Amino acid sequence: MNAAIIGVGQSAYTRRPEPGQTVHTFIRDAVVAALEDAEVAPTDVDGMAVASFSLAPDTAVDLAWRLSLSLKWLLQDTNGGSSAMNMLGHAIRGVETGAASVILVVGGDATGLAGYGKVAANFNIATREHLAPLGHGGPNGVYALVTSRQMKQYGLEKSDYGHIAVAQRAWAAKNPFAVYRTPMTMDEYLAAPLVADPLSRYDCVPVVAGAQAIVIAHPDRVPKGRAPVRMRAHRASFNYDNQAGDGLQTGISTFATQLWQAAGVRPDDIDVASLYDDYPTMVLAQANDLGLAPGNDLQRFARVTVGEQRFPLNTWGGMLSAGQPGGSAGGLNGISEAVLQLQHRAGERQVKDARLAVTSGYGMTMYRYGGTAAAAVLERAA
Amino acid sequence: MSKGVGIWRCRGCGVGYFPERLLCPRCHGHEWAPDRVLEGVVEEVAVIRHMIGQADWQPRRIANVRTSDGQLITVGLRDESGPGTVIELFEEGTAPFGQAKPS
Repeated sequence: MNAAIIGVGQSAYTRRPEPGQTVHTFIRDAVVAALEDAEVAPTDVDGMAVASFSLAPDTAVDLAWRLSLSLKWLLQDTNGGSSAMNMLGHAIRGVETGAASVILVVGGDATGLAGYGKVAANFNIATREHLAPLGHGGPNGVYALVTSRQMKQYGLEKSDYGHIAVAQRAWAAKNPFAVYRTPMTMDEYLAAPLVADPLSRYDCVPVVAGAQAIVIAHPDRVPKGRAPVRMRAHRASFNYDNQAGDGLQTGISTFATQLWQAAGVRPDDIDVASLYDDYPTMVLAQANDLGLAPGNDLQRFARVTVGEQRFPLNTWGGMLSAGQPGGSAGGLNGISEAVLQLQHRAGERQVKDARLAVTSGYGMTMYRYGGTAAAAVLERAA
Repeated sequence: MSKGVGIWRCRGCGVGYFPERLLCPRCHGHEWAPDRVLEGVVEEVAVIRHMIGQADWQPRRIANVRTSDGQLITVGLRDESGPGTVIELFEEGTAPFGQAKPS
């Protein structure tokens, strides 16, 4: 092992940015926090990966310039909810191969609600030409239809999704960065107004402005007294089925077996999971694809594993409670939380003796559902 | 408004697609013939009650539809059709819509 995650950091998250707060300032705040956390000087950074829907017209090199970073490894990822996972994989390999020694991985957005509406209506040509003119409501409309299919296929009830939202809100109460921290009951979940039937308010990820960053380097560079976090395995999938399926399986289904074999562990070895949660539906789909729901019993996973046993799923509150600062930074949230848990630095949220984590990303709603997915198994290194 | 929804049929294997592709997912052919599908069956329906950034939004209905030729498409519904309803398809610009087929 010659590459590990050694530090994490984030900006404040806010539903409504103040004048002067831009995607650039949120990214700066996350970068400063991550470098301080990793005890790395900016002059030591020689690689950077970035993903953002709102950085344009700037690109990765413009961000390097603004951050005064001179680099020999640079990547800009455009895969939305799986960008963070992609960047993690590339950055680990970048350090392992010697292409760079310290890589900063950052994601952030500050579109504002109106800006997000424009992104949602112009996500790709298929969306712009065939969905937006219907008034499809952006991803809410797409995943309302996916949720209906999942309910039919797996015999799920509305409250089954509520278990995900309620459990994650309980975790968020212990996360000072989460935008929604007040505990939520199942009754409150079920009474929330419908947004796109059958999705109601707490099924839809709240868009926030903010940024997140992690630092990848040789494990020897981890600050004293902390365990580096290594990546046991990483896999990704792009356009896995040409949009010809039902969207209830994600691209994770194409590589899950390989992922666990490469990691040398099994789903039931996992201590904590960060699954991309733009909608509870997709949490269940990814859990199923990863083998976290034995027998494909999504009802039991929702009601018992999450609802009763409180399996440590999205322990920072998930994007559903902490907020989604763009898909890319949203994915970095899950990775960062896994790192904090594995380094035993998660404070009130700490999962006792956490050693293994699985993290996933899912995104890019091409037409009827997302077309990109990635996952990794992370481990607390000795 | 034009009757039916335009699809792209591969000249190599005959399978039709929507939206348009560059290479055929089935045979990787690259030559296409335009075609139209006229009807489909509603599989799922969603009512879009809120739209980000729009205060005076009026609810709209969208649906997953399996066309008579097998394509899985998303349409705007112009009536109260529910799952299982056979609908006739039409286009406004590049967007597919549907409503119950008169019996």
